[in-house]
Formats: sequence, structure tokens, C-alpha cells
Amino acid sequence: MTESPLTKAANGEVGPHVTNGLKPGRNGVLRSVHRCQQDEEEVQRSSNHGGFYNRPFLESYEETPMLVAVLTYMGYGVLTVFGYLRDFLRHWKIEKCHIAREREEQKDFVPLYQDFENFYTRNLYMRIRDNWNRPICSVPGAKMDLMERVSHDYNWTFEHTGRVVKDVINLGSYNYLGFAENTGVCADAAAEVAMTYGVGLASTRQEIGNLDKHEEMEKLVAEFLGVESAMVFGMGFATNSMNIPALSGKGCLILSDELNHASLVLGARLSCSTVRVFKHNNMQSLEKLLREAIVHGQPRTHRPWKKILIVVEGIYSMEGSIVRLPEIVALKKRYRAYLYLDEAHSIGALGRRGRGVVDYFGLDPGDVDVLMGTFTKSFGAAGGYIAGRKELIDFLRSNSHSAVYATSMSPPVVEQIITSMKCIMGEDGTTIGSDRVRQLEENTVYFRKKLREMGFIIYGNNDSPVVPMMLYMPAKIGAFGREMLKRNIGVVVVGFPATPIIESRARFCISAAHSKDMLDRALSAIGEVGDLLQLKYSRHRQPASSARPFDHLYEDIDG
Amino acid sequence: MALGDCWKQLSWFYYQYLLVTALYMLEPWERTVFNSLLISVAGMAIYTGYVFMPQHIMAILHYFEVVQ
Repeated sequence: MTESPLTKAANGEVGPHVTNGLKPGRNGVLRSVHRCQQDEEEVQRSSNHGGFYNRPFLESYEETPMLVAVLTYMGYGVLTVFGYLRDFLRHWKIEKCHIAREREEQKDFVPLYQDFENFYTRNLYMRIRDNWNRPICSVPGAKMDLMERVSHDYNWTFEHTGRVVKDVINLGSYNYLGFAENTGVCADAAAEVAMTYGVGLASTRQEIGNLDKHEEMEKLVAEFLGVESAMVFGMGFATNSMNIPALSGKGCLILSDELNHASLVLGARLSCSTVRVFKHNNMQSLEKLLREAIVHGQPRTHRPWKKILIVVEGIYSMEGSIVRLPEIVALKKRYRAYLYLDEAHSIGALGRRGRGVVDYFGLDPGDVDVLMGTFTKSFGAAGGYIAGRKELIDFLRSNSHSAVYATSMSPPVVEQIITSMKCIMGEDGTTIGSDRVRQLEENTVYFRKKLREMGFIIYGNNDSPVVPMMLYMPAKIGAFGREMLKRNIGVVVVGFPATPIIESRARFCISAAHSKDMLDRALSAIGEVGDLLQLKYSRHRQPASSARPFDHLYEDIDG
Repeated sequence: MALGDCWKQLSWFYYQYLLVTALYMLEPWERTVFNSLLISVAGMAIYTGYVFMPQHIMAILHYFEVVQ
């Protein structure tokens, strides 16, 4: 076997331990060679790769049960048939058409609205549209108020009844540390700054929109992350899509994870670099691509690549998985590539001190070349940052589209970031920040454990505060959202195209603001709805109090 | 009381059927169309079985030489 950083054991053990990355394939395809020797499938894959990780890396992606997969396809088949029927009726004017259409006079022109491409939106999404875009009329903290709305024509139009549904437990907001609040130190500081500086800045960063507050915030962000310097932008999506083109161009190679966010994909495409995709969190796939890239060079000329940029995220929000950072850092050092880490969901939410996935694994922040993150999730503000070495940030200050063209961040938002960051670091003199980080960790572990015990299929790493719970069938997407709202709990349900077609899920985001009582209430409601809708698909129901920490630790899964 | 329980159980089964076949998302008239199609096909299958089962059973028994 060729030697690679992953198979070399750090403490000189004989015989490589195998690598990870091979989890049972989705939807019934099992690639494990030792299947005949196991009487049941792997539930939790805990990997020990010769000393890369200083704590167990437990994640599980249970396979879709075959019957459920078949029934899901059948359900989609029924919906497709009825979709065609309704389209036929709409075309022949037997039924009133609510979607956008061209005028009679323009029928023979090139079509403006692509009829078939919106098939899914018209015929599937519209039927359960009341689960999304619900209007919130309070601060989205641990509890929120919703405006009640009804639809008389099957979700084509909505009317507000005027009533407000109060105190709905919020399991959908990315409010990991609970800083989305309208009372307290952060809110007061932000209000005061709004009185001093106003709200709008009427300029870009490069012209006259650079406040002393921005400089203070950037120094604080750099200190928080443990790097030399940082730069802040007004919008998280724009941070990725406008800065990746500045960092890589033609003749560069971008290796991006399968499940990267749309902003990273857009940035990679805009940069005109060659983009190659490796399987999600799979280090063998990444290493294979790196080796091929270095050996073969650019496509036709075989010249060496100008640079190779590996783009990954800290926590993937649809899967709840955490990136295998120690291995990626080892790979990048071995093959001389650069690493771009998008910590949108993991900054503030992971790590003992809340400093993100780098802190979670205990690595040196200088190892990651470009640290990117957003302030939307854990800091209760909006915007994004890029941090790294001073030369990199100075380069970005003059070459990034976002710096030159985008309006600079609004002062109250800047103050919210400064106050919340100081709170997390403990510099405001209280322990609120570290208490919240600890509370989030406890809540996450508790919630995930309880859901797994109840028998639901939960994806992702045990430590990630994003908890996707599988629903699979299309009707259950709508039913789950509605039943939970009836029990005063607001959840986010996701289906195609954000997820693969049969793997639709409900995604819970745990917050430090949730008290144990709220979590218990949410769990009992989820259990009830799970029984009502028959969502407890898991075939590995573990007893409530079992201590089986080392069962799967040394399983060899490779051949 | 038993009838009430039975009715509740049946309506739970109907709810599960609606969820699994995705009829839950369809409008009432679409459900009627699907249910009538399903019932007519199932009805035809049962009727055909009822009409031809004796002949088929006699043929099987004849093949295994249980009856002449």
C-alpha cells in the first residue's frame, strides 16, 4: 500500500489503521467488505487514525431502510403523475392557472418562463408551501411569535387572520449562542451606537465608509481567532462569492467538497479556476485528487498548477457533519496545497472556548491559510469575515470586489459583533460567554442522545449543534411541519433540491438559549409526532442507559 | 367504546396510507380520483380471482394427481 500521511501512524504502530471516509453508502449500497462478519450494520463509526484526533470522532449516517426508500419513490411517482394531470388541465384551461404566464400576444416568442423546469415548484412545493416563509413578529430567540395565516386556495395565496401565535419554541434559527435577543448588554450597546453613528454609512469601505469601529472590530476578530489580521464584509454570502475569485484564477485548481454551500460553489465558478469535487469528508478521495493533480498538472498543457486550493466547511449544515480538519491539514502540508475553511456554522458553536472547529480539534490557526466565517449564526449580527496572515488580508483589502463595491457594515451591527465577541472571549468581565458555550455543548449532546434513543435516524457528528432528522417521504415533510406548529414548536423542514430527492429531513438548530425544560417539551412533542407519523425508522435502537464506549473503536472496515 | 376505538384505529391507518402514498398533499378531488382508481383495480382483481379460483385450484390438483 502506498504510504500517505493518513496511513502513517504517529506512534509507530505496525500496520495501518484504516481510514475513515468509508461509511456505509447511502440508499442500500453497502461497500463494507466485512459485512458477512457483522450481524448488524455499523451504527457509529468511531475512527482512530494513529494519533490525528485527540478525542473520538463519532459520526453516523444510518442507511435508508429499503422499504422506506421504495415507498418514497412511489410517493414521488404518484405526485408526478398528478402533477402531469394538473399541468394538462392548466394547459387546456379547464383549471385556472395561478403561475406566471406570458400574454396571448407573446405566445409565439421565445418562452420567458420555462414551464417544465418549474414542474417541481408548481406541483410539489406549492402544495406544502405553508411550512416555509412563515412571518415572524418578534425577535427569533429561543421563543418567537408567528403571524397566523390561512390559505383558501391550497397555498397559492395567503391571508393573515390577524392573530399571533405566541411563544413558539424556535428550533430553526441559527442562534447557537443565544445572542439574538432584544434585551441585554449587546442590544443596549448597539442602540447607543445607532444614536452616535446613525444606521447607514452611505459609502464603501475603500471610500469614506471606514469607521474606527470597523478597525476595532477587525482587530478583535483577529485576536479572537488567533491570527494576524482579519477583514470584515457586510454579507456572508458575498464574502465567499466575491473573495474566492480574488484568491484564485485561471491556472489554479480548486478542490471543493461535494456538499459545499452555494456561496462557495458560486465563488469557485466565478473565479474561472478548474474545479474538482471530492466525496463528502472523504480523505482518500481528496488525496487521490491531489496526487492526480500534482502528477498530471493542468489539463492540456501538463504544466504545474499555479496553486491548489482546498475549500471545505467547518460544519455542513445539511448533514450536521464536522470536517476532518487534522487530516486535511496533514494532507495540505504534505502536498503543498492551500486551505480555505468556511466556518459559517462552526465559529462560536464548537470548541472549548468557542473559537470554532480549529479550537475543537486543538490545532494551530496558522495552519489554515484562509479562515472565513460569518457573524450571522453565533453572534446575532450579519456579515462575514476573512482572516489569515497580514499579507493575505492586505492583498484582499485592495483586490476584493466586496471591499471596493459593497457598502460597509452598519454601525449597530458592528457594535453587536464587538460586544458579543468580547462576551464570548470573557473580556467584558463576566462568564456569560463561556457559560453559553458550555450550555450549547450540553444541550447538543443531550438533544442528540435523546433523539437517538427515541429511535429516529439522526445524521452527523455527535458534537454538532445542527441536528438533521430524516423524514424521507414527501407527505411527511408537510405533515411534520404542520403537526409541530400545532404543538407550538417551529421547525425547518428541507426537501429537494437542497437535499437528495429521497433524503428529505427536518433540521433542528440547538441554541444555548434553550433551557432544559424547553428541550424536554420539544422532545416530547417530537416523540409524539414521530409516533403519529411513524418516523422512528432506526433499526439500531440502543437502550437508554448503556455504556458501550469502546465497542466499535477498533473495527477495521477496509479490505 | 370498542367501536370508537376501532374507528380511531381505522382512521389512523387511513392517515398512514395518505402519508405513504403522498395523497396527504393532494386536493380532495385528486384523492377521490386516486382512491376510485385503486378500488376499481383492486375490485377487478378480486372479482377475477373469485371467478377463476375454482378452475385454477382444480387444475393444480389435477397436475399433482390428487384428483382425476
